[in-house]
Amino acid sequence: MYAYDTYDHAMVNARVAEFRDQVERRVKGELTEDEFKPLRLMNGLYLQLHAYMLRVAIPYGTLSANQMRTLAHIARKYDKGYSHFTTRQNVQFNWPKLSETPDILQELADVEMHAIQTSGNCIRNVTTDQFAGATADEVADPRPYAELIRQWSTFHPEFSFLPRKFKIAITGAKQDRAAVKWHDIGLVVKENAAGDIGFEVLAGGGMGRTPLIAKPMRDFLPVEDLLSYLEAMLRVYNEQGRRDNKYKARIKILVDAMGIEEYTRQVEAEWEKIRHIPIDVPAAEVARIKSFFAPPPLAVLADEVPDVDDLAQKNFIFKSWLANNTGSHKVPGYVNVTISLKPHGGIPGDASDEQMDLVADLADSYSQSEIRVSHEQNLILPHVARRDLPALWSKLDAAGLGSPNAGLLTDIIACPGLDYCALANTRSIPIAQSITERFDDLKRLMDIGPLKIKISGCINSCGHHHAGHIGILGVDRKGTENYQLLLGGSGAEDASKAEILGPGLDEHGIVDAIEKVVAVYLGEREDGEEFLSAYRRLGADIFKEAVYGTH
Amino acid sequence: MALINLTSIQPTGYTVLDDGAVPGEGENVAIGVDRLLHEGDAFFATAGSVGVIIDTETPFAKLTQIVEKIGFAIVDFPAFADGRGFSLAVRLRKDFGFKGEIRATGPVIPDQALFLLRAGFDTVETTDARKPAFEAALERFPAFYQTDFGGQLSVAHARHTQGGQITEEQRLSRKAPERQREAS
Amino acid sequence: MAKKITGPQLIIANRLDDGRAVFLTIAGDWSPEVANAAVAHCEDELQHLLAVAQASEIANHVVSVTAVAADLSGETPSPAHIKFAMQARGPSVRTDLGYQVSPNWEQ
Repeated sequence: MYAYDTYDHAMVNARVAEFRDQVERRVKGELTEDEFKPLRLMNGLYLQLHAYMLRVAIPYGTLSANQMRTLAHIARKYDKGYSHFTTRQNVQFNWPKLSETPDILQELADVEMHAIQTSGNCIRNVTTDQFAGATADEVADPRPYAELIRQWSTFHPEFSFLPRKFKIAITGAKQDRAAVKWHDIGLVVKENAAGDIGFEVLAGGGMGRTPLIAKPMRDFLPVEDLLSYLEAMLRVYNEQGRRDNKYKARIKILVDAMGIEEYTRQVEAEWEKIRHIPIDVPAAEVARIKSFFAPPPLAVLADEVPDVDDLAQKNFIFKSWLANNTGSHKVPGYVNVTISLKPHGGIPGDASDEQMDLVADLADSYSQSEIRVSHEQNLILPHVARRDLPALWSKLDAAGLGSPNAGLLTDIIACPGLDYCALANTRSIPIAQSITERFDDLKRLMDIGPLKIKISGCINSCGHHHAGHIGILGVDRKGTENYQLLLGGSGAEDASKAEILGPGLDEHGIVDAIEKVVAVYLGEREDGEEFLSAYRRLGADIFKEAVYGTH
Repeated sequence: MALINLTSIQPTGYTVLDDGAVPGEGENVAIGVDRLLHEGDAFFATAGSVGVIIDTETPFAKLTQIVEKIGFAIVDFPAFADGRGFSLAVRLRKDFGFKGEIRATGPVIPDQALFLLRAGFDTVETTDARKPAFEAALERFPAFYQTDFGGQLSVAHARHTQGGQITEEQRLSRKAPERQREAS
Repeated sequence: MAKKITGPQLIIANRLDDGRAVFLTIAGDWSPEVANAAVAHCEDELQHLLAVAQASEIANHVVSVTAVAADLSGETPSPAHIKFAMQARGPSVRTDLGYQVSPNWEQ
């Protein structure tokens, strides 16, 4: 993991002091709410329906056991004993007091965390594959480059007041678990014939009211050119992105309007002018950052562990957990483990302070003290010896963290919705809960197989409904909650936009509709065919007929 | 009105010239981009230092035609969140090697002081009430991750440079901190 | 004579310090209990309540002052729109904490 040096510490501490001063000025009345609002947003502090909400950055979803303990401590001391992990690999606290937020930020700074640029029209937390550095299908660990981008984008003098927020995602694996094509900029780590590392660059993806999939700009950008190229991309966007309408201000609209060819031409022309200016860091700095992400010292172990196989034979739940919640690691004898934050009837992404403390302890015992947050709102222990799985699972299960449903229908992404969020039109969480109650048979879920349901409580799409195999979008229909059903989206390397199936449904109707959609799939699927492939083969009509039964 | 001096430059005293008004002999004046492009030699021979008032709608390509004619530039922010003003200053310094004073006007906020300095601004016009907050904000951060137009080395470079000093090679086309300019 | 408004209204805001949703009362202070909310039945009453609320906002006690349609069909008034009703009730998915446990809930 990256460790702060004196420069990094000085910057986050200065930021805390600055915010403490701003809060004091607000409380004393020296700043009006209009003046204060942009300042608090720059520190991730929102005013939601019931209270303030503090969004804390978890850069590229990586955190240490000690950092997790601090999050648990904050939940206990300043909040109501829980926190919420988000689709941006961040964490949110739902009940902080304004006057206590500087203290919270100081506690975070003390463990090398912050809430900088978790809101506002700036470059947000860079997201990546939750299994980075711990997966067999990886070209290279993308996190050193994510950290480079984090530093370059922090307090950027030119790009802190963009037309709109800006999200960069990077993956180093063939299987895209970071949804890079749904981001303002997507980066895919590649290795060329000479063995050099570089990036495929994509631009102009995004969700919201106008869902668009990012388009390719460059097939291979060498590492040493990364930051100057990003700088050119951001400059063209900052100058020409629309500022007259916030719904048309994202880079996706600019790229769509001018065309990816013209955008690329302008970026390349600007890049030619700046690529020799020292924006890109010295090679020694890249090496320094990379050294923090060196593979952990794992002794090679046997992949075959009789104890694990025995337990799997006897216990169907453990067997399912093994199948769904563990993935291939680079090192023989190890796996990455997904801790599902989607228990039956639970709130997707929520964890209690005790659960967070437990995960920290388990990371110390079994995973090199390292934890990840996935954009699917789960926690990951990246480096677990296969032989430790029975002990790990029993401890997780006892704390309500052993759900064997990673990647299954009940592993639902849901935004906080109208239960918390001031922007929402409808609730999201109760829909997720109703779906898990309807599909409560593990054997049935295993039979259905991989199926991603994603729920947003408004068009801002924090719940990624456009990228759901099944997407649900909440809309306000004359003051009542109404839900649109979308099918066929994907956030993976085969990214696609889900399409609305038909008229909106109420909170019961939407759950019934999902059951009908799943029944069509089960009836029509070919051998081994997953839901998304079946939908793509069958088309929407057969599902529409099942849900809306027009004759 | 208060003037915040970010770079210890000698600020330009000037008059904003009304439409149709002519400058006095040797008078420092500021005019808009369109007028600047239409004025002939006589105007520049009469006036002292001529400054241009650039609004944030101005495409940077237009700067090519104006930068040779001006002694100072004023970037007028219609709102503090209009970040195009920062790119305009960066373009003036980076693309055109402009060494004169760049001033920010409009509702920029104290918390932007260091952003303005690092993007290449020298001075900010603000309200008297905001002056103390601007001055406090300038002292707030000891270092940044970007090499900037005030000559401050990026943390990334400082980490690997003897004594944290920027080398000539690293600086290249970046403006030197002790940038010279004509006094007005 | 008082001008007509589209329907009865009440005033909702968030306290500056903890952001908690509060309702303007007849006494001119703020209560976390929607049952105590003052209801405006005409434009004059609404303007009076808004003036009191905005003075409180200027004094930095509350932020985000909003007049919202009131539903008077129950024993006590409540916001008609689901969004503001949620503010009065607290998160529907965590009835173990917040306002549902006690209207006078504090940290």
